[in-house]
Amino acid sequence: MTFKPVPAPVAAEVSLGDAFITTRVDAFINWGRRNSLWPFPFGTACCAIEFMGVVSSVFDLSRFGSELVRFSPRQADLLIVAGTVTYKQAPVLKRIYEQMPEPKWVISAGACATSGGFYDCYCTVPGIDEIIPVDIYIAGCPPRPEAFIEALVQLQAKIDGEAGKEQKVVGV
Amino acid sequence: MSAPHIDTPTIPSAAPGIPLAKDALLALVRERIEVEPDPSDRWDLTVVVASGRLRDLMRFLRDDPRLRMDVLLDIAGVDYLAFPGHRDARFAVVYLLKSLAFNHRIKVKVRVEEEALEIPSIHDCWKIADWMERECWDQLGIVFKGHPNLKRLLNHHQFVGHPLRKDYPCQKRQKLTVNDPMVDQLQLRLRQLGYTVLSEGEIHAPAVRGGTPGEVVGTGDKGMQDPDLTTGTQVGDMKRSVL
Repeated sequence: MTFKPVPAPVAAEVSLGDAFITTRVDAFINWGRRNSLWPFPFGTACCAIEFMGVVSSVFDLSRFGSELVRFSPRQADLLIVAGTVTYKQAPVLKRIYEQMPEPKWVISAGACATSGGFYDCYCTVPGIDEIIPVDIYIAGCPPRPEAFIEALVQLQAKIDGEAGKEQKVVGV
Repeated sequence: MSAPHIDTPTIPSAAPGIPLAKDALLALVRERIEVEPDPSDRWDLTVVVASGRLRDLMRFLRDDPRLRMDVLLDIAGVDYLAFPGHRDARFAVVYLLKSLAFNHRIKVKVRVEEEALEIPSIHDCWKIADWMERECWDQLGIVFKGHPNLKRLLNHHQFVGHPLRKDYPCQKRQKLTVNDPMVDQLQLRLRQLGYTVLSEGEIHAPAVRGGTPGEVVGTGDKGMQDPDLTTGTQVGDMKRSVL
């Protein structure tokens, strides 16, 4: 009884030359995620006006891959809360966050969203992290567009460090 | 070279009359209704009226051809608790009126005792008074008798107390867990627009302005079945006529 020798598998790399790179799956997924963030602006006050400048041509947030501003939470993965949030609005914000598909990130833009700002009173939520988890906080009243851009760059660095394969699960 | 001639359009004068002086205004009001000038007033005339005569006074101010106070600028509630030197009733409600025809203003003040927090509503004299009175009740707890829908306007529906009262701790926060559905307000508005609201989920419209009632069905988000938000987000299928 004779056996045919099984030919050694030819590695795909050999035939492809240098037209490929190898990487980890995590790094590849994170590369895709961090460079195509689709923001949903939850704008309630003057910070939202500043955000308009950030996505317009002068500051041009799309240079960082975050160019498609969505107005449905179901199509977005980055929630930008820009402005004062009152207790009357709090269930709305929470609902919007819950409607966003995983993976998702939150930027709290400006003093009001971060801490309630100078509205230290009966009607204002002292920081949206009372309601939803926040990844990056931006200081300022309102923040300069550069601060928005830095927040996005920091968020991209944060996404880079995440385990991309595993679903990012946040308990709400 | 002379500048080209430009026709300046003449603006039709909306103010044929001249504003009355404070004392003339007061004399005019006193012809009909017993009022007292408020010693604390500034700039415009402020009169204090008994709550029983409030509606008569407001109608008189609005309709009298010499006064024609046709704009209700604002309704402000005041809490005089711990106000220096104040010995009158704890609360007051101030109505700010302005005449577009004569350009004069008047403030009408009604004192409200803490034990009897009730004054007549004037929602039928000015439409805007509806929301102004709701705000005043919401923030200070002053009841406007005869108001059709005296519910909170600024604060959420789970709020307890009245935050602009001086004895409310102003940093006491109250959380809201479920949104106010506000379906009653929606139905009220639809009725005002000529729709017939049959039930919460079904709204039929009559043929409006002689148009054929084409039916547009939709917008009930059937995906939102969470028990906590169902009433808040489901409006139901609306059938409305195409104008």
